[in-house]
Amino acid sequence: MSIVLWLTVCLLGATILVGLLRIASAPDPASRAVVGDLVFFSGVGLIVLIGLLNESAAAVDAALIAAVLGILATVALARILTRGRR
Amino acid sequence: MIAALIVDVLASVLLLGGAFWMLTAALSMFRAHDALARINVLSPATGLGLPMIVLGAFLLHTKVEGFEVAVLIKTILTVVALIIVSSIASNVLSRAAYMSGSAVDPRTAPQDLARSPEEGDQVPLTEER
Repeated sequence: MSIVLWLTVCLLGATILVGLLRIASAPDPASRAVVGDLVFFSGVGLIVLIGLLNESAAAVDAALIAAVLGILATVALARILTRGRR
Repeated sequence: MIAALIVDVLASVLLLGGAFWMLTAALSMFRAHDALARINVLSPATGLGLPMIVLGAFLLHTKVEGFEVAVLIKTILTVVALIIVSSIASNVLSRAAYMSGSAVDPRTAPQDLARSPEEGDQVPLTEER
């Protein structure tokens, strides 16, 4: 079972690496914001998996808080994109 | 014994499937050509990939510590929040991306944000395609 967990951790790590590569090579800031959002959510997935690997109950709590508050990061990115205008 | 096996297989399918969706979303960020297409591509990862990972986590948690209603409620809240909140966030982000003047594929229609309010909605170019 831990093989599956470690395989998922590798997949999510690959996701973050590919996302960071895409951020480095993205032409316009809007695409960077979008891929940054994807990296954020795969980070949340990683938190859940680390919680699972350590058999801790905090995995689902961390995902809940990150999911609900994840919109703040995205709205902040959107506000940065439009230089503070609505 | 069989139940533990079934839970294991189901949880691993959910976890690996969720990670697969995230990876394909990241890879397809290279294929999408403009910001709006990338935001569209983001939705499988946040709307399907992450809820599958959280469900897999819930199954494994139930297998280890037994069934707890609190964890079930948290999982349901997380999945609902992920689907609703990430779609709202993507909407806000795509509006900002469009207004920030980033390159948009000329074929995207209708582009109502570019038109002044009194002009009303643009008719989508269905007949030409």
